[in-house]
This record gives sequence, structure tokens and C-alpha cells, in this order.
Amino acid sequence: MQDRMSSTERMGAVLMGQKPDRVPVNPFILGFAAKICNLPLGDLYTDPKKCFRTQLLCAEMYGYDATPMYAYASYGAWEFGGEIGMPYEEGQSAPYVIKHPVETPEDVDKLEVPDPKTAGSIPVSMGVGKLCYEHGMPVVFQSGEVLSPAAMIAEPSRLLSWMIRKPEVVHKLNKKIAEYFVAVAEYFTSTFGADKCMSFAGGPVESNKLINANQFAEFVYPYMKEIHSKVLGMGVPIILEHPCSDQNKNLPYYQKLREELGWKGKYIWVFGPETPLERQIEIFGKHDVLMGNVDPPSFQFKDFDEIVALCKDNIERGIKNPSGYILGVGCELPPLAPPINVYAIMKAAREYGSYK
Amino acid sequence: MVIRELFCYPKHLCNALVYVILRRIKKWFLEKSDILKGLADATIAGDTEKAVEWAKKALEAGIDAYEAIMDGCSVGMNVVSEKYEKGEMYVPEILCSAEAMYAALEVLRPHLKTATMGVPKKVVLGVVRGDIHDIGKNLVKLMFDAAGFKVIDLGKDVPNEKFVEAAVKEGADLVGLSALMTTSMVNMPIVINELKKKSNKAVTMVGGGTLSPELAENYGADGYAKDAAEAVKVAKALLTGGK
Ligand code: B12
Repeated sequence: MQDRMSSTERMGAVLMGQKPDRVPVNPFILGFAAKICNLPLGDLYTDPKKCFRTQLLCAEMYGYDATPMYAYASYGAWEFGGEIGMPYEEGQSAPYVIKHPVETPEDVDKLEVPDPKTAGSIPVSMGVGKLCYEHGMPVVFQSGEVLSPAAMIAEPSRLLSWMIRKPEVVHKLNKKIAEYFVAVAEYFTSTFGADKCMSFAGGPVESNKLINANQFAEFVYPYMKEIHSKVLGMGVPIILEHPCSDQNKNLPYYQKLREELGWKGKYIWVFGPETPLERQIEIFGKHDVLMGNVDPPSFQFKDFDEIVALCKDNIERGIKNPSGYILGVGCELPPLAPPINVYAIMKAAREYGSYK
Repeated sequence: MVIRELFCYPKHLCNALVYVILRRIKKWFLEKSDILKGLADATIAGDTEKAVEWAKKALEAGIDAYEAIMDGCSVGMNVVSEKYEKGEMYVPEILCSAEAMYAALEVLRPHLKTATMGVPKKVVLGVVRGDIHDIGKNLVKLMFDAAGFKVIDLGKDVPNEKFVEAAVKEGADLVGLSALMTTSMVNMPIVINELKKKSNKAVTMVGGGTLSPELAENYGADGYAKDAAEAVKVAKALLTGGK
């Protein structure tokens, strides 16, 4: 099928609850774009112009509908005074923490909430944001859940054991991160106008591979609610929420969040492949957009036909969401995926994703 | 009845003595199983103070340190690992169990006798280059430690050559490679091939979230395990059965 809408029109239609020509595609591509453009991966995370342009070119080349953004999972350590490594070495796929700024509970007391204008990666993400703004695209800022950055600040294993041994220290740290995220949101919304912004939230340490639902309730939920309600209160219309990996046990809390916030704004949910779309439709279907969650590692190991089949299955299930669906990947698409497998997503969207 | 009679007749004093000794032994065994259970329970509960207490009691009661580790701490860690797989325990609790176990090991290890335990098998373990996901690898280390292996932990984002160097230098019996990402996994066959050239002694095992038995075979690994408890079982089988 030939595309009859531009990417902007297509995404716009879905977000306004209308039917586009076909399902939009957001393959969660970051590092892959750099590989395709023969750009050192580290440049993607350090140079706003290159970060923007490679993502734009990659989207143009394949015809998918995502706009450039800046985000990575090891977020938080650099911003709070630690040290980050950029993925310039072979085999590396994203930024990684070299030095965690917190080693002891006393360090948490001393930790200062950084200035959102200068903290760590913010100047780069602001640079990418400016380019998006100039091109009439949404400006995405990272204002994730608190536990993943807390783990990056204090080192994951240390933070996880503090959750039992020293819960008060974890709460102290979480409060500072929440304060920081709200300040970041204020910085971006006051620069571009809230209606031009989109907040990207979520993280892997919240996954039920690591913590249980009660721990999510205690250490994630209250901060998540506070940040989201403030961000929405500033007028940010869309939150792109990525509960990474298996978060099935946390689902009741994501539901509670939406209910308690009165289903304000529009959420785009990107769950990991472990959460069936049917379950997501049950919970969020009346209000929110779902982004598909095809299994990321498959893109590196499976062949073209298998990827088309996986995407077809995802489309058939996701398109049933009354509030809209975007074909997507359950986490970042592996940078080393064979390029033809990204075309497989487009092929599936065009062949099986058209709205009658 | 019979027992009372024994005490009534001095000529059976000898039998009485036997009785007392038997009771002592029984008590010792009871005490021993209580102590081992105490050690296991303290490990499961992540109660560091209790774990140290039971470890000291074990030594006072004359329990062999190796036995205390294997039948106390290790039994506890196996329960912890099973509970994690069933979703009854999560990583924060496991890390507390680990803390308790290591505290008990600190008390017990200086009393290990090579005569009873033999020379421990050496495992070189690490997360491959480009990958910083080390929580799973740390759990594998924990289970190997609990099972009495000597683990040389190379950490995360380990350069390929470092695995080979360490395996050769340490005379490793087993090299364990962990990877969580498709981008970093590709380093596994490179390390395995190099190891095969440079150390014909060490068997290789791979693991980590997104790996599968099929990939492990494609990469030329001798073994694969889906979780930390199974990793120890597979390692033992590989090391007794050879490659
Ligand atoms: C927590 C997490 C993180 C944390 C890691 C913190 C840390 N220090 O470990 C942080 C935030 C840093 C992170 C970062 C990233 N992550 Co991450 N992360 C996860 C997550 C949610 C959980 C991993 C985990 O700890 N599991 C719990 C442990 C206990 O399980 P395990 O590791 O599998 O280990 C068990 C077994 O596998 C086995 N085992 C493990 N090792 C070994 C070794 C041997 C020899 C044996 C026998 C057995 C064995 O025993 C263990 C215990 O039972 C996974 C999701 C998943 N499905 O795994 C994603 C995941 C691994 N991450 C992913 C990605 C994409 C990233 C990033 C690239 C994101 C980004 N763009 O920034 C970065 C990469 C950073 C880097 N440079 O490496 C993807 C990888 C996809 C792919 N292409 O393969 C995953 C799979 C998420 C997804 N669904 O897509 N992540």
C-alpha cells in the first residue's frame, strides 16, 4: 500500500483519536541510526546536531514516523556529579556509568539537586530539543521514574540492598531525583512552551526481574505520581511511558496512576514484549495510545520473514486498541540489527496495518 | 523401661555409659542439624547477625567448616535461588541473603581444611565487553561461592583478552561469560575460540537474560544455564564429566 499521509499527519491523527492511513511506526531506534549513518555511536550521545540528523535521515530512509529524541538508560549518574562513559569502543551500545556519585548514605545527604540547565547530558538533550523545535517536531525531555536514576547514582546492587537495609536513604535520594525531574520539566517547558513538549519516562530497574510490586508501590509509585502530575500540570500534553522489560506485576500501579490523575493528558505506553497487548488494551484502551512491543533481540537474530510475521502479529493485536496504536519495538532496537529487518517493520505496517 | 533398669543394676554400668555416649551423640547430631538449619535460615532471611552467630556456633560445636558452608549456607542459597525463579523473592532480598552468607563465610573460611574439601575448582567469571548488566553475573558468583568454588570475578565490560589471560594465569577449570545484550553477546564466540587455542583445560559456560541454549551451542560453549542455581549444577556436571 502507498502511504497517503505524511508522518506528522499520521502521528497527529493517532494522537487525536482519529484513524490514519496506516498504523504509524516508531521502531525505538537510537544507536541503529548511528550505525546506518556510519557515525561513531558516542557522537550520537554527545553531539546534538549529529544526534538529530542521523535519526532524521534514518527515519526518512525507511519512512518510519518517529521524530528524533535523546535518552539513555544509564541516566542520572552524570547529572548528579558522577562520571559517564560514551560508547566509542567496539561492542558498546549506549552510555555507561564510570563513577557513581553516591557510595555511602552520607553521600546522599550531601548530594545536591543539580541545576537542570547544566547537569550532565542536559545541554545535549536541550540541543536536540532546539533542533526538533525548529523543525516543528515535539521536544522530548527525559523525566523518567526515579528508581532507575537512583540505581545509576548509587550503583544498582547497593541501591537495591538499601531498599531493605536503609529504606529511608532510598527515599531521601528519590526525593532529590523527583525534585530534579520537575526542574528539568520546568526548564524545557519554559524554553519551548509546554504544548511543544513530550516527556519520556520509565526505566529498567523498575522491572519485576529486579523488584516486586510492593517495592514498586513503596519506592516508585509516590514519586512517579508526583512527577507526572506536575508535568501534566505544566501543560505537557503527552507522556511517552516505557515500563522496560517485564513489569506485569506493576500494572495495577500504572492503572492506579492514570486513574488517580483522572486520565489527564495522553499517554503513549511502550511496555516490554512480556506484557500482552490485550492486557494493555483492557487497562488503557479507553484513553491511551499503545505502542507495539515486538521483542527487541529478535531484530538482530531473526530473518526478514520472521520479523514481518512478528510485526504482523503485533499489528493484528494492537490495532484493536480503541484509542490508537503505533507499531513499535519493546525497547531500543539493537544497533547491530541487519538493516533489512527495519525495512521488515515498514513492510508489515504497509501490508497489514492499513485502516479501511 | 529398659533404660531405667540399666541404672538400677551397677553391673550394667558399662551399658549405662554407652547410653550416655549415645545420647551425647544424638544431642550432637540434633545440635548439628539445628545449627546447619540455623545457618540456612539466617541466609534465606538475609539476617547477617544471626548468620555470623550460627557460623560461630558451628565451629564451637566442632562442625567441619566445609560441611557448615555446604549443608548450611549453600542449602540456604539454593532455597533463595529457587524462590527467585518462582517470583517469591526478588533481587533486593537476594542481596541481603548474599550479605548474610558472605558474613558467615568470613567466619568459616579460615577453618577450611583442604583434606575434607579437596582443592576448590577455579571459575573465572565476567560480563563480556560492551555490557554493563552485572546483576545476574553477581548472582551467579554468589551461587558458585556458596557451592565452594573459588571465583575470580573480572567484573563487567571485560575486554575479550582479559578472560583468556585470567583463565591461563589462574589455571581456571571453568570460564563463565555473561551477556544481556545482543550487541555484546557477539563477543562470546570470540572469547571461547581464543580460550580453546590458549587453554585446553577450562570448560566454558555462557548465560544471561537474552541468551538461549541454541545460541550457546552456536557460540561453541560447553555449557549454558538459564539461572544461577542451574549454573552450579551444569558446572559440576561439566567438571566431573569433562568437556
Ligand atoms: C536492569 C537492566 C539495566 C540496568 C543494568 C544495571 C546493572 N548494573 O546490571 C541499566 C539501566 C544500566 C541498563 C542499561 C541498558 N540496557 Co538494560 N536491562 C535491564 C533489565 C531490565 C534487567 C537485567 C537484570 O538485571 N536482570 C536480573 C538478573 C538477575 O537476571 P539475568 O541478568 O538474566 O541473570 C540470570 C540468568 O540469566 C543467569 N546468568 C546471568 N549471567 C550468567 C552467566 C553464566 C555463565 C551463566 C551460566 C548464567 C548466567 O543467572 C542469573 C540469575 O538467575 C533487562 C531486561 C531483561 N530481560 O533482562 C534490560 C536489557 C538487558 N537492557 C537492554 C538495553 C537495550 C539496555 C541499554 C542499551 C539501553 C540504552 N539505550 O541505554 C543500556 C545498555 C547499557 C550498557 N552500556 O551496557 C535490553 C537489551 C536488548 C538487546 N538488544 O539485547 C534488555 C533486554 C531490555 C529489553 N527488553 O530490550 N539495563
